[in-house]
Amino acid sequence: MAEWTASPFFGVALSILAFWAAGKLQKRTGLVLCNPLLVSILLVIAVLTALKIPYENYSQGGDLINLFLAPATACLAVAIYSRIQILKENWLPILVGCTVGSAVSMGSVWALCRLFRLEEALAVSLVPKSVTTPIAVSVAEAHGGIPSITVVAVLITGVCGSVTAPLLIRLFRVKDPVTAGLAIGACSHALGTSKALELGETEGAMSGLAIGVCGLITVIFSMFLL
Amino acid sequence: MKILCQVGVIFGVCWVSQILESLLPFAFPASVIGMLVLLLLLITRVLRVEHIQEKSDFLLANMAFFFLPAGVSILNYLEELRSAALALVVICLVTTVLVFAATAFSIRLTLRLMGRGKRHG
Repeated sequence: MAEWTASPFFGVALSILAFWAAGKLQKRTGLVLCNPLLVSILLVIAVLTALKIPYENYSQGGDLINLFLAPATACLAVAIYSRIQILKENWLPILVGCTVGSAVSMGSVWALCRLFRLEEALAVSLVPKSVTTPIAVSVAEAHGGIPSITVVAVLITGVCGSVTAPLLIRLFRVKDPVTAGLAIGACSHALGTSKALELGETEGAMSGLAIGVCGLITVIFSMFLL
Repeated sequence: MKILCQVGVIFGVCWVSQILESLLPFAFPASVIGMLVLLLLLITRVLRVEHIQEKSDFLLANMAFFFLPAGVSILNYLEELRSAALALVVICLVTTVLVFAATAFSIRLTLRLMGRGKRHG
């Protein structure tokens, strides 16, 4: 298999196939746990391991896909811009909520990593994990973290957030849709936002804004902390 | 041709932000610089959303897919993770609850203070 798979086309095709299959599975089951990215990562790993295909062969195609990460992150600007009116109307609660949320996130992750005596590189990979994947990965990379661990931590956090969001809203007696949306976005980025959209339009829009604002604040904090 | 131009604009912004990153004296991720540059271009109306609509829709809609190879590369770190897997899951779960509570309470306080300000003013 090793010589047949040593082509960029192999990695790209396998990735798209796995992502497509994972999307189908999510539609079928409707489970948050069957997150397409999470499932497709496991699928690709399973294929590579089962057929003993070297990781280097896969990454020839993988690197091509990686190239799109920066442009995709830049396009978050379009998502923020389309909600700029709500941002202007609620700038103070958004700014306060996202600042406190990002600070608590980074601080508590750092403290827990210390408590569990995790290695430095692992801790740096986990600290930005509450923000959207592109920003979290950039932050981890810039400060010596391991990007793939960040990707997985961001995913686990997102799944946790979107599963527990309705429960957390009841537990902390959040009645205001602006507050609910921002809190969901701050703790579980885009995966939480998809849940927030189910709760209501205001919740969804606020959650989407929180992704961008928390991302930026996390980048700024990380410059001083890490 | 339309899409080709849109790719050109977005990749151009990314290239410029990589240069900016290398010029900055502190660690600030290039992709986030790209986001800020693009936002600035949109706010100042140098660029309109129509100029990059299709390409940005494509990138945003398929965002998760672009992270697949980054996730798969965890294969190379299984040794490090084996001992830390449980800690990782606990950290993710605990901090999610903490961040939700902290954000919700701080916004509730802000809204309450703002409401009081309005009544007096």
